[in-house]
Amino acid sequence: MAAELNARDRVLYFYGITESRLANSIQQPGVDLQSKIEAIDCEGLTCWISRVSAVEFEKDLAQNMENLDWLATTSVAHQRAISAIAREVEILPARFGTVFRGEESLRRHIRVAKREITRDLKRIKGADEWGIKVFAAKAAPTPVPQVRSGKDYLKAKAAQLPSKRSRTESNGEFAEFENALRKVALESAAVGNVSSGQRGLRFQTSLLVKRKDRKKLESVLKKFSERWAGAGQIECTGPWPPYSFVSRPGERAEKK
Amino acid sequence: MSAQPGSIVFANQESDDQLSLLDILDHVLNQGVILRGNLVISLAGVDLVYVGLDVILTSVETALRHMGAATQTHRKV
Repeated sequence: MAAELNARDRVLYFYGITESRLANSIQQPGVDLQSKIEAIDCEGLTCWISRVSAVEFEKDLAQNMENLDWLATTSVAHQRAISAIAREVEILPARFGTVFRGEESLRRHIRVAKREITRDLKRIKGADEWGIKVFAAKAAPTPVPQVRSGKDYLKAKAAQLPSKRSRTESNGEFAEFENALRKVALESAAVGNVSSGQRGLRFQTSLLVKRKDRKKLESVLKKFSERWAGAGQIECTGPWPPYSFVSRPGERAEKK
Repeated sequence: MSAQPGSIVFANQESDDQLSLLDILDHVLNQGVILRGNLVISLAGVDLVYVGLDVILTSVETALRHMGAATQTHRKV
């Protein structure tokens, strides 16, 4: 009885799908830092999961996502778990916070989405995701404006902030950079829901790059960093599992 | 190593203590296999971690350090 209750109190936290399974198990702890990472055969593919607390990852998930301490720890654990799998076998990663009630509901989902999943597994083969950001060089500190009222202060403050409009317009100057990146990447995707408010951030994209083209990517970055010397800094993160290149059901990303 | 402006900063995902939490969240929340139908998912809180929270998130980044530090991999070109 206790074991039954135990199973009922657990849900499957889903990391992603691979074409084949591994001879060895993954030693990295799961998303809750306690559970094991397991492989399940599923419709001819392999799904990677951990059995985690239903309270923490289902009932209280929305609430936990608003708790930055929980979100920080758990998102890093999620990223580490997927990276540990990705080091061994190519994985189509799941979005953070993807939970199934049981193996049957996971299988049903995979069955329905199998065509898309198989196509995406082909699409990401031999490639990694890279995050590219360009920051404006730090300007000299702006002098504190002389203000007489709170209203004046807010106006002065607002004048210093880049408007959404100016950010979009300024993207024109990155067109050449973007074109050069597109030439070395298989695809690009919008990214930045979380970090788009970072100070000085002028341009941001995510690229799917074949492993053999990594040097080409680096030389494009080098070329533009030299051109922008003194004006901007390029930041490159990766290789990431291809989080941004998984199709949403019924919505294929635009291919080159 | 030059300290010239205009350098490229590489943060290597394999030793993730150099990645900012913002970057991790950008990627892990961006897309990935999305569930529907029978699956149970809630991302209701995600909107709250959008624009403007970078300062708070930076302070939360100590979570990364608590989870075991790796070696520095920042390299400049």
